[in-house]
Amino acid sequence: MTVTIRIAGEAGQGVLTTGGLLVQTLAELGLHVAATRSYMSRIRGGLNWYDIRIGESPLWAPAERANLLVALTDTAMETLAGDLANGGVVLYNGAEADGSIAIDLAGVAKELGGSALYANTVAAGAVLALLAYPLDALEALLAKEFAKKGPEVVEANRACARRGAELVAGSAGALPAPATGGQRAGSIYDGATAIGLSAAVAGVKFVTAYPMTPGTATFACLAGLADRYGIVVEQAEDEIAAVNMLCGATYAGAPALTATSGGGFALMAEGLSLAGMMELPIVAVVAQRPGPATGLPTRTGQQDLAFAVSAGHGEFPRAVFAPGTVRQCYDLTRRALETAHAFQTPVVLLTDQFLQDLQQTLDELPAEPDPIDRHVVTAGSDYQRYAETDSGVSPRALPGGEAMVVCDSDSHTADGHLTEDLDAHVAQQDKRSRKLAGMTAAALAPQRHGPPDAATLLLTWGSTYGPAREAVDELRSAGESVAMLHFAQLWPIDAAGVRETIGSPERIVCVEGNATGQLAALLRSVGALDDCELHLRYDGLPMTGTEIAERIRP
Amino acid sequence: MNLAPADTRPAWCPGCGNYALLKTLDEALDEAGIDRRKLVLVSGIGQAAKLPHYTRANVFNGLHGRALPAATGIKLANHELNVVVTSGDGDMYGEGGNHFLHAIRRNVSVKAFVHDNQVYGLTKGQASPTSQLGMVTKVQTHGVVSWPLNPLAVAIVEECSFVARSFTGAPDHLREMMVAALCHEGGFALLDILQPCPSFNRLNTFKWYKDRVRPIGEAHDPKDRATALELAFRWGDEIPIGILYTSARPSFESQLSPLGDGPLAGR
Repeated sequence: MTVTIRIAGEAGQGVLTTGGLLVQTLAELGLHVAATRSYMSRIRGGLNWYDIRIGESPLWAPAERANLLVALTDTAMETLAGDLANGGVVLYNGAEADGSIAIDLAGVAKELGGSALYANTVAAGAVLALLAYPLDALEALLAKEFAKKGPEVVEANRACARRGAELVAGSAGALPAPATGGQRAGSIYDGATAIGLSAAVAGVKFVTAYPMTPGTATFACLAGLADRYGIVVEQAEDEIAAVNMLCGATYAGAPALTATSGGGFALMAEGLSLAGMMELPIVAVVAQRPGPATGLPTRTGQQDLAFAVSAGHGEFPRAVFAPGTVRQCYDLTRRALETAHAFQTPVVLLTDQFLQDLQQTLDELPAEPDPIDRHVVTAGSDYQRYAETDSGVSPRALPGGEAMVVCDSDSHTADGHLTEDLDAHVAQQDKRSRKLAGMTAAALAPQRHGPPDAATLLLTWGSTYGPAREAVDELRSAGESVAMLHFAQLWPIDAAGVRETIGSPERIVCVEGNATGQLAALLRSVGALDDCELHLRYDGLPMTGTEIAERIRP
Repeated sequence: MNLAPADTRPAWCPGCGNYALLKTLDEALDEAGIDRRKLVLVSGIGQAAKLPHYTRANVFNGLHGRALPAATGIKLANHELNVVVTSGDGDMYGEGGNHFLHAIRRNVSVKAFVHDNQVYGLTKGQASPTSQLGMVTKVQTHGVVSWPLNPLAVAIVEECSFVARSFTGAPDHLREMMVAALCHEGGFALLDILQPCPSFNRLNTFKWYKDRVRPIGEAHDPKDRATALELAFRWGDEIPIGILYTSARPSFESQLSPLGDGPLAGR
């Protein structure tokens, strides 16, 4: 069984603080956690919420409806109280409210701590009591979190947590809750952090970006890691500057990465083409949000697949990855960097707001520096940057040694100098294009979850992995013959291999967070798929397993 | 290195200021004692931007307008390299205008040599950000009405680390300015180089410049920002050439602790 706690209130009211305390505490109690955030594009006011879903085994996605709503404002109450699961409970921040448990959180906070800031702790204590969980893990966390502020602050927080629990004592255990495990279920990571940590571990030394939600979370994560890992982090004047700085930095030899969202990536398109032409190993993390144009800046979507696969003028090889889980964010960031360096060409890592903010309990992610192979050679004065090779990959020397490293955005000869020799133009185009064979051979095959002979096959990519996986499990436990294929690499695609992997199930349903079915179109364009049904969601919210299962169920 | 198949001979018009500029740059690089192996010439697109192909250096000939961010990335990845940008007025002040503003703010130790002929050459004669008011072109058919950018004044207002101007018709002066810029320590150096475009700029000819340029007297203290700005505002019968301004700001890279352990590219 799983339970979802939805903490909702205004921006700036402590939704994240309360949620953060609970996520850490619940993981400490041995529960598996999947937490997601929904927020408006504003710094104060509005309606934001933080969903914390807990269970006895790993969780992959949020639930559609909450079991416990913590309504910090009347707006939260009015908007969300009608959307609870059967038997759901509301904890209302106020004097009283029909059909809900009411606590004046700020009043209690001021009484015991002298400040409304403690309201978050009161709420956390109350939530744990409603689930009949002990308070000791929360109290230990408070002691750790507030140690720097002194014993009085720690004690006031503990008192607030205990009072919160006491005030709901009459309803303790009002919600059936998953059993706590014997030990901590894992560490809590979100997708944005997993990407940043992986990049730092892999030896990225230069990071530049222009702030854009939801890519900024990864940019800020790397800024936070910069001192420890020796990374230069610079906020660019615009995304055009960012991508061109990456090109310069990788030309000179530093592994480099940027993080942005669709609009910023659109500004980078020319620079991506430059990296293709100059054969530079740049990596762009593109965290999607619904577009077009500014769209819904703080919501999620999967609308930029076709763009990522085709962005940039001219024809050049690239790889596009799209992790499905927080752990995959970590693994594929490294793979993106390795691929970029092995093939000397740009790589895009597609994520989205949902996955950037998704928190999951995981085994500790490796944090010791473990630099990737940059595939750099030392060469002499006869060096040619774009020497022709069978693989299309030329030996890569860096400027500063005997070899003169000449790179041009114009068509160039093997030595890098610009030319209008059309034979040389074709030879170099062919050389770059040859990389695709190696990249296709190295591409990640789609991963299957469910039986190989299932009657219904879901096709998904990127962050839809979790919801689709939960849908498959739900349908299978109801006796349906269902499986899924998840694409974590979207380009290049081994079309014949994918066609064979898909096989010939009775039903194929492409499940995507966009309005046109971009994965389906992409697979058809390479001849990997004929026809399929589409299940699309593009309202800016993440999919859930239940929602997909309802749509798939015959 | 066999350069025969490549188009490495200058493809500029007879009388183009770029010839003098290239020759003087070679001399200045030697005079400044710069090891060509440690030199990266960075450019965008335009006639000026082709220059790196015609001398011996590491070359990053990138996108139009984007030489400065590329140069910034190169310098941060390996701050032991000498990074020199050679680009035109359209590349630097038009397409790359935003980067120009921010490169000066950032103060990375990149030397920007701007070939300023007040016109677009590669695209055949349209107005540039520094074109004179009233200049008639095939696009500005009623003459230029947008006021010309004053890059030196902009740089001085931003407290640019080094601001100078020279003229391709005064090669000794130009060489001296290039050497001064190349040897300048402490951040971003802007050298705006006036040059004639005999094909497309019939207003600002070699003679037009020659009659107007006046070396700045030795009495000028480049640290005097107000006077520097006054010199930058002078444009007409007399055009001052020389070092207008230097500031004592710390370079960007000198403030980055990760660079203390050596170039990022070496780790």
